[in-house]
Amino acid sequence: MKIIEKIKTNKLAKNQTEIQKICLHKLQSSPLPNPKSELWRLSNKSKFSSFLDYSVSEKDLKSDLPYPKNSQNIIRLVIGENYKINLKEENYSIQQLNEDKLDKFIKEQISCFDQNENWCNLLNLSLSCKNNILGLKINGSKIPPIEIFSHASNNSLNAKTLVIFLEKNCNIELLQVNLGKENSSLSQSTFFFLEENSSLNHGVVSYGENGSNLLNSLNVIQQKNSEYNLGSLHFKFNYARFEINIKQSEGNAKTNIKGMQITKKDEQISTYTKIDFNGPNGFLDQINKSLADDKSHAIFEGSIKVPKIAQKTDASQLSRNLLLSNLAQIDTKPQLEIIADDVKCKHGATISQLNEEELFYMRTRGITLAEASKLQLSSYFQEIISFIPVSKDRWNLLDKLLNEN
Amino acid sequence: MGVSFVRVYKANCNKLFLDNMVNENLVKDVVKEPYKYGFVTDIETEKIAKGLNEDIIRLISQKKEEPEYLLDFRLKAFKKWQKMDEPDWAGLGYKQIDYQDIIYYSAPKQKEKIASLDEVDPKLLETFDKLGIPLTEQKKLTNVAVDAVFDSVSIATTFREELAEHGVIFCSISEAVKNHSDLVEKYLGTVVPASDNYFAALNSAVFSDGSFVYIPKGVSCPMDLSSYFRINSGDSGQFERTLIIAEESSSVSYLEGCTAPMFDTNTLHAAVVELIALDDASIKYSTVQNWYAGDEEGVGGIFNFVTKRGKCLGKRSKISWSQVETGSAITWKYPSCLLLGEESVGEFYSVALTNNLQQADTGTKMIHIGPKTKSTIVSKGISAGNSINSYRGLVKMGKKATGSRNYSQCDSMLIGDQASANTFPYIKSQQPNSEIEHEASTCRISEDQLFYLQSRGIEFEEAVSMMVSGFCRDVFNQLPMEFAAEADKLLALKLEGSVG
Repeated sequence: MKIIEKIKTNKLAKNQTEIQKICLHKLQSSPLPNPKSELWRLSNKSKFSSFLDYSVSEKDLKSDLPYPKNSQNIIRLVIGENYKINLKEENYSIQQLNEDKLDKFIKEQISCFDQNENWCNLLNLSLSCKNNILGLKINGSKIPPIEIFSHASNNSLNAKTLVIFLEKNCNIELLQVNLGKENSSLSQSTFFFLEENSSLNHGVVSYGENGSNLLNSLNVIQQKNSEYNLGSLHFKFNYARFEINIKQSEGNAKTNIKGMQITKKDEQISTYTKIDFNGPNGFLDQINKSLADDKSHAIFEGSIKVPKIAQKTDASQLSRNLLLSNLAQIDTKPQLEIIADDVKCKHGATISQLNEEELFYMRTRGITLAEASKLQLSSYFQEIISFIPVSKDRWNLLDKLLNEN
Repeated sequence: MGVSFVRVYKANCNKLFLDNMVNENLVKDVVKEPYKYGFVTDIETEKIAKGLNEDIIRLISQKKEEPEYLLDFRLKAFKKWQKMDEPDWAGLGYKQIDYQDIIYYSAPKQKEKIASLDEVDPKLLETFDKLGIPLTEQKKLTNVAVDAVFDSVSIATTFREELAEHGVIFCSISEAVKNHSDLVEKYLGTVVPASDNYFAALNSAVFSDGSFVYIPKGVSCPMDLSSYFRINSGDSGQFERTLIIAEESSSVSYLEGCTAPMFDTNTLHAAVVELIALDDASIKYSTVQNWYAGDEEGVGGIFNFVTKRGKCLGKRSKISWSQVETGSAITWKYPSCLLLGEESVGEFYSVALTNNLQQADTGTKMIHIGPKTKSTIVSKGISAGNSINSYRGLVKMGKKATGSRNYSQCDSMLIGDQASANTFPYIKSQQPNSEIEHEASTCRISEDQLFYLQSRGIEFEEAVSMMVSGFCRDVFNQLPMEFAAEADKLLALKLEGSVG
């Protein structure tokens, strides 16, 4: 684990920023998360260490990003490409966050980080250099959709950080694409701050190639009357871990999450979500789907916390899982921790295989087994994919999922 | 899709709830009920010195005149226990237990051997009488055979002859060690090995008494069997061990009840229960747990750290756990089923009521190993006061569990805004040809329902009691007749209060 050695000996980077120093300091005493903690217990140790086995690359090789051909008016950004962003249009503006504000915000976040719960963020912020931190401030309306790319180059570990402030009454559609090249590790941390009345339709599409690893951490703070919708899809990673931390800081906010992870071969992909309701009248609707085939392992853990202050919270969480092979494994653990008494909270979880009756029905009508299961799968995928913004016309995700091996 | 059975319950909550503080307080009041089993029996007891070491274990073994293998079993367990750490994963807040400050053997002094019940100290009989447990066989009305355990020893077992006619063995485990040593040696520790967990290891080292049940092949036990546990001394722990073996095509229903006096110290109760069901056998194990829960400030009360597990060894065997948990300062208990036999069935029905500063972390483990195994989990938690009530469960489908099914439902009811209700279901599957469904919901006493009942002339207190009883109905329906009545009464009692 090259990275850990370097963290211990403090030989990571030469010109460390203050934030890097703070995070490195926090990591130095115990550089790895506690493997016995609930959040890391199921993580495959050798796969996790393969994530840490590359050296950090700060420079990006200009890689061939898959730019789907389309003339649509889309703002496209690549984290790590060093350019100044200052877009001012009639209805909206997208500007780079000034450094002081960015620093202050990140430091605030770090101050409440826990070694295990926020390990991915700590690692990310200790590794990601100035160039790889993109901070944006967005306001206005009728903003064209935004696409933001992060990618890891071959045989190296890349750390990218994205911070976005959504100002009052602003609403946007944003698609984040995380790409892993062959034998690479990508550490991506994203921070969103949604001010009052703002709304964000967020899509996360992450896919890799052979032997790529991903630690993706998403942190959202929602002020009142904000709305956050997330559609996410993770597939084709040797090891991927997606952490979602959402905090409704004063309640009265809406959160919708539809996520999916697909594992094949001997891959391991896990999703950990933590939703905190810090005020009354919060709303959450979450569904997480997993599909595990071959010898793979899919994990979902979701925690919902409803303290006393969060009266009239309405939260539901559903974990639906398809287990397609005898050698694959699925672990799921939706959990509720409730103190407020006037709330509606529920969760559900199922694990099964493709419905045999449906298969039989289709086969009696002359559809082959392969086609019939493809049809079933596409209906399973569609619910999530249709929730991912921007992607619909530009990224043929369904096709990718059904036809790629 | 194969997962079309998802039914996520809409919590029975009321959007139009008016913040009626009066009602809020009333609900709080009605769940307060003084503990009526808190008396201490003044009886001369024989206690050994405090503390835990090999000599103490040898002494316990010697007192019980145990064979060599059992002493070995105890000593091995003790060695394992010494190397183990007390678990902290449940996040239960309690003062560290000083294991050297506990008396591991305490027994009421009485004649060496008792020929009949008439020779039992009348004070003891009186105690059990006060608790409503019929030990004298004249009170045959209930048709339940009882094994009464007082502190560390079994006092009496009723209806022995009648049971013996059917070949059923029902006695204290100390007696079984003497008279049915082969059975005990064969099965003891096979379901819950000594190294299973910290408290199981402790129990294996120092267990004092408990019940032993053996149902021979083809026998359906003619009456319900029951054991009643009473902790009397404040400084002794209770470590009982229960072993139930149901041979091929046999069936038995077993009931367990428990109470303790009020002390302002915490008493440790670390029991182990092992059930073994062979081909086509069925065991129904019901518990009404009403240990002293401590006072309103959380002073005193029993630490109830129990390991209960059943092994469905045979084909088509069935183990059903039902429990009503109302007592104990801390309950930490996961009655589980290992489903090995083909088409074996595991069931878990639970009601847990916590009040004041009580903490309950309870649930079940259903480990599906054999093919076509089925399990059902229904858990109802009611939390009031400042209590914490958690459901923690594991459903695991092993690689060979083809065609297996599990259905779990966990509902929580919150009374007041200081109590907390948590749900932690762990679900793990390695078998695609199996189905698991889990659902959970949280709600409060519905104002609508309350208003409806009250507007029809039903008093507030009775209405709340009815609603709680309705909430628990799925579980109460699974309890044996004698217990169902008792459980309903118990909940009603807990809900009975100072409402005028």
